[in-house]
Amino acid sequence: MNSNPHHPTTSESASSPAEETLRLIASLPAPDGLEDRVNAALSAAPRRGRVLAWPRAIRPESSWMRAAAAAAIVFVVAGGGWGVYTRVEQNQPAKVIAMPPRMPIAGGFSGAGAMRTPQTLPGPAAPQPVKVSEPAKASATQTKTAKKPAARHKTTSNASGQPAATSKTAAQPDASK
Amino acid sequence: MSTSQAIVAGWMESPTSAVNDEARRRAEDEALAALVDQYAGTLYRVAFSVLRNQADAEDAVQEAFVRVLRHRHTLGEVRDHRVWLIRIVWNIVLDRKRRAKTRPETDDVAELARVLPSTGLSAEAIAAAAQHHAHVLACVDQLPAKERQVLMLSAFEELTSVEIASVLGITESSVRSRLFRARNLMADLLEHQRSLR
Repeated sequence: MNSNPHHPTTSESASSPAEETLRLIASLPAPDGLEDRVNAALSAAPRRGRVLAWPRAIRPESSWMRAAAAAAIVFVVAGGGWGVYTRVEQNQPAKVIAMPPRMPIAGGFSGAGAMRTPQTLPGPAAPQPVKVSEPAKASATQTKTAKKPAARHKTTSNASGQPAATSKTAAQPDASK
Repeated sequence: MSTSQAIVAGWMESPTSAVNDEARRRAEDEALAALVDQYAGTLYRVAFSVLRNQADAEDAVQEAFVRVLRHRHTLGEVRDHRVWLIRIVWNIVLDRKRRAKTRPETDDVAELARVLPSTGLSAEAIAAAAQHHAHVLACVDQLPAKERQVLMLSAFEELTSVEIASVLGITESSVRSRLFRARNLMADLLEHQRSLR
């Protein structure tokens, strides 16, 4: 039985043929001399995962190489900053691009000055005229009759001395005779 | 040599740093050799349980230690070297298994017959045992990857469920539930195979 309380194996699992096989494989001894071979491989392996080896003359460990690298970095940074500074113009005026007037195409159809008017939405409907009630009609006739004498007075002032309407009605019986 | 010249020459390096580097390198080498002596066998067994080939397993162990060599400056930060190394070799063997072409089953049987203990057994018995183990391993290979991995790691007596969880990067409860599922699936598979015979 497994003495380790954290081990996930249980008593019933120990009888499982699959786990017996796996346990048998897991308990196989390592081949002899494995450690020596691994140590030999380690001593032969490169210490650093380097893709390209530096030439001996320009090893990064050498002091003058480091100084040259530092000078190059300073030069690149300062040069880049100076380049940006000289290219940037301060208080640059706003650029306005004047568009040329559109010229009509020669030989094409003209628009005859037509302007396109966009379709408008149906606007608010006008309110229906209100029907005049009876007392309102009466008052309207009264005002008409009140105006009539004035008109009659106007006609009497003509040269015949009779109003035009009355002379017409007087002439009709004569015509029937 | 003036002070400024010395600074430029050394470039942030004190004169004693070379000696310290040498001593540190020697200490790292010694620590690595101790790790090899202590855990090479364990790593080999883990690798062999997945790859089932002696040469491949040995290669995997060597690759694991070469990786450790490249990252030897992080050795001091590792809490449990054993679990850390098993995790490294586990990832290596899974990657190799994924990339390797499918080997015929006969190769597995032959390899098992060669490596399994055979004292006091006849040649026929050894062959039958190897055949049986290869058949069981074929059933293990049919399991889903997650369950298979937990089942294989659980076969190592020296690994607790907490350590298996650490190797696989999962929780301990996940280890237990996957192991439960794996056992059930294996029982079904073996029963199915038995009924087919």
